[in-house]
Amino acid sequence: MDKNFLQSSLKDSLFTGLIALALFGPIVGLRTVAVNEALVVQPKWLVVALIVAFCAVGRFFINIYTFKKDQRRGEPSSFGKAISNFLDTKGSQIALGAVIFSIIFPFLPFADRYWMDIAIMMMTYIMLGWGLNIVIGLAGLLDLGYVAFYAVGAYSYALFAIHFGWSFWICLPLAGLFAGMFGILLGFPVLRLRGDYLAIVTLAFGEMIRILLLNWYELTKGPDGLTGIPRPSFFGLPFKRYPDEGVETFHTFFGLEYSPMQRIIFLYYLILILALITNFFTIKIRRLPVGRAWEALREDEIACKSLGVNPRNTKLTAFAVGAMFGGFAGSFFATRQAFISPESFTFIESAIIVAIVVLGGMGSQTGVVLSTIFLIGLIEVFRDFESYRMVAFGGAMVLIMVFRPKGILAKRKPTITMVKEK
Amino acid sequence: MEYFLQQLINGLTLGSVYGLIAIGYTMVYGIIGMINFAHGDIFMVGAFVALISFILFALTAIALPVILILVLLISMVFTACYGWTVEKLAYKPLRKSFRLAPLISALGMSIVLQNYVQAAQGARIKTLQPVIQGGFNFFEESEFVVTLSYLQIFIVLVTIVLMAIFTLLITRTALGRAQRACEQDRTMTALMGINVDRTISMTFIIGSSLASVAGMMFVMYYGVIDFYIGFLAGIKAFTAAVLGGIGSIPGAMLGGLLIGLIEVFWSGYISIEYKDIAAFTTLVIVLIFFPTGFLGKPDIEKV
Amino acid sequence: MSEKLLSVENLTMKFGGLIAIDDLSFSAKKDQITSIIGPNGAGKTTVFNCLTGFYKATSGSMFLNKDNKTLDLKKFSDFKVAQKAGVARTFQNIRLFPQMSVLENMMVAQHNKLMVASGFSLLGLINAPSFLKKEKEAKEISKYWLDIINLTNRADDNAGDLPYGDQRKLEIVRAMCIEPHLLCLDEPAAGLNAKESAELNKLLKFIQKDKKTGILLIEHDMSVVMGISDHVVVLNYGKKIFEGTAQETKTSPEVIEAYLGTEE
Ligand SMILES: Nc1ncnc2c1ncn2[C@@H]1O[C@H](COP(=O)(O)OP(=O)(O)O)[C@@H](O)[C@H]1O
Ligand SMILES: [Mg+2]
Repeated sequence: MDKNFLQSSLKDSLFTGLIALALFGPIVGLRTVAVNEALVVQPKWLVVALIVAFCAVGRFFINIYTFKKDQRRGEPSSFGKAISNFLDTKGSQIALGAVIFSIIFPFLPFADRYWMDIAIMMMTYIMLGWGLNIVIGLAGLLDLGYVAFYAVGAYSYALFAIHFGWSFWICLPLAGLFAGMFGILLGFPVLRLRGDYLAIVTLAFGEMIRILLLNWYELTKGPDGLTGIPRPSFFGLPFKRYPDEGVETFHTFFGLEYSPMQRIIFLYYLILILALITNFFTIKIRRLPVGRAWEALREDEIACKSLGVNPRNTKLTAFAVGAMFGGFAGSFFATRQAFISPESFTFIESAIIVAIVVLGGMGSQTGVVLSTIFLIGLIEVFRDFESYRMVAFGGAMVLIMVFRPKGILAKRKPTITMVKEK
Repeated sequence: MEYFLQQLINGLTLGSVYGLIAIGYTMVYGIIGMINFAHGDIFMVGAFVALISFILFALTAIALPVILILVLLISMVFTACYGWTVEKLAYKPLRKSFRLAPLISALGMSIVLQNYVQAAQGARIKTLQPVIQGGFNFFEESEFVVTLSYLQIFIVLVTIVLMAIFTLLITRTALGRAQRACEQDRTMTALMGINVDRTISMTFIIGSSLASVAGMMFVMYYGVIDFYIGFLAGIKAFTAAVLGGIGSIPGAMLGGLLIGLIEVFWSGYISIEYKDIAAFTTLVIVLIFFPTGFLGKPDIEKV
Repeated sequence: MSEKLLSVENLTMKFGGLIAIDDLSFSAKKDQITSIIGPNGAGKTTVFNCLTGFYKATSGSMFLNKDNKTLDLKKFSDFKVAQKAGVARTFQNIRLFPQMSVLENMMVAQHNKLMVASGFSLLGLINAPSFLKKEKEAKEISKYWLDIINLTNRADDNAGDLPYGDQRKLEIVRAMCIEPHLLCLDEPAAGLNAKESAELNKLLKFIQKDKKTGILLIEHDMSVVMGISDHVVVLNYGKKIFEGTAQETKTSPEVIEAYLGTEE
């Protein structure tokens, strides 16, 4: 390492420290707090000093590290490659293992209420991720308002169930259908827009739906939300400790002790089945002409047109199918919570689902699972640090784009092959 | 009539703020063809820097005009650092990536900025005592008195002056020429010996400083801010940029004024609760039916 | 004498003040190769874009004779030109689906008929035998064409990984998969070496003679043009300056003048 290099990296890290000081000095260093109705400034220079030092030193080491790497050029970057190779080749084994694991999960010794709740939440996100994967991953349409369909599904499920008293198995498909129709309705005018405009318009639609839910008080009870959404029953057998007179319940029918976990486990299997249906449906439809056309559109819309593929209808089906699965997931959410309000359907939910799909690897079903475990895990681990965890989350999105823009699982399998699969 | 006039004044003031933010969207779009989703949050950071400076200067005995100029400069400098850093960290590595990558990265950056400010400054709203008070009253003998406050005059004047300076900068200087060259063809521009990276950086610096001025106006005008103001203001300013014709700087200003007027008249005559619906509806209508805007170039896809 | 396939009448296309095509009329016959040549920027690609519905012509008309019917091409928007009128095209800058396999590229080109066969996905989802049969047929057709261009052994590789010359040929046979009446090729020989160029000639001859498909060809490479064209249209600054057989074109003073200083 020559002296010139050392000098320039020192200069560079000094500069980085200066920038860091400018960035964090005012915002972190001068915290505004209200004292007797008036704002005063509370200095926090120690924190700033630490951050600035960290940035400067970090920059210095990055410089030296990249310098060393330049000298070793030619060596394969081993670890990352090994992992991605492993993931790319062992995809189906991992998937099978994951399915088996998720089936036996509720009976594992550590699976208490806390873990089951997390598992159900993750499963919901996995299902949403798989649904949105059709839209973003396969068809290449960046939909930033996916949560709107989740909301439509949840609210239509809740309204059907509360007002008409229909059972879960009737309301669920209806809610999905409703959300799918909504997808067509919204998609019709916007799907001819360019990619980035489409993203912003879908974001706007998502927010409009939420504001509508907030303000349409007669139907949605506004910010108070809808309460008393019927809990699902096991083919007509409710999960209740003290049932109404003469009603058989799940535990009496099977001669079990009553336990609140029975309902939780039932909900878990319910979402597992819904998610797996989404998964198998997607795997299947990807191999059909329409699925192939989705991916072709993502690759090159102009070429598609020259081959007679109708871009609007094709995109519309992707949008509608994605919306439908969002609606199914929404129904599940409604019946699980028994209470929904517009607060659950904010833009950040859409952003989380987008991040799951993108991090997983556009179009990769297994990738969605891995990234859900990673991202939702990240959010869960930092549960007590409300805004820091979202900083980490947003930062993760940027880092993924910068370092692995194709996501965790980048390899794509052809939908049809000439030679029988090896 | 008087009511209408008052709304017009308010709308133009608000429109100036949106116009200043919209310029950042339009310039970045022009030069690298991406929607800088984090721009609204840069504006929010600018508002916070201005707020903090005002609080600090309030403790000193400096005269008001000097304070105003100092706060303006401080916000511009510090916020420009944010714009510069965001571009370097989140967008520059992605220039050759697939087309949605920068947008997703920008989305992540927006989440980072919002939550970082929330963590550092707290989630509660921040109130600032009025800095400039008083104004002219018209139609004092009629039922509805129209007020043109000194603050509104200040906002519009500063906007006009800044617009003039930056228009000159972009039409008359080497930097402006380099920017327009980059818009046309980045590779060729680089081959001509122009530093493309620096030109793009400068674009972000200019855009963020203008957004920070908008932030300063915003905190003076409304007197309350929180870490979330960037989202809606960003959406509105983006709509303004598209409405004016994305890529066009006078268009951004024009669009900003229109959006300001639409918002104020909507709240004044129709419904204040659905104010944000108005913003989103305008956005959707503009993007679907009028994507080239007033001063934009028609977008025929070259095959 | 074969019958008329395409007739373009008084076609004009303006971009703002720029007149890219100026009152152009010509026709192409069935089972013939018609070449459009001209210096860069003459408006050749723009003619294709108007024909295939990517641009809306400012004025003029284009008619295609198909199964004894005359279709007004102006009435079709982009994808319908391929779907309904049977006009296929390739692009000056190759437009394959680079991350999809070669075979998948060929299957996407047979999208419309497969879509019907799959019952708009409903029959496909339940693996209906009728759909599986049609899918197998489509695969056979793909194999047929890939055999012709010697790419069958690479059918499962990504199209973007093929060498340049193979990508050009793949784009042509992919266009053939829609079973077109008229095939429009935009500079198919650009960037090919002499051997590949000769193979291309053979392929085009095969499409013209054996498949009875009319070809409209934009080309710079004179050896290709002169070797296979039945009819040549020369454009300069959007105007037609000459029309005739390949031999006549070669010796025409107008054409030589137009090319002097721009081409060798
Ligand atoms: N979408 C467009 N917008 C503006 N001008 C265009 C567009 N497409 C083509 N042109 C112009 O039309 C003229 C003819 O172009 P083109 O048809 O591509 O020429 P050729 O294919 O003969 O080389 C050129 O001057 C080109 O710049
Ligand atoms: Mg051309």
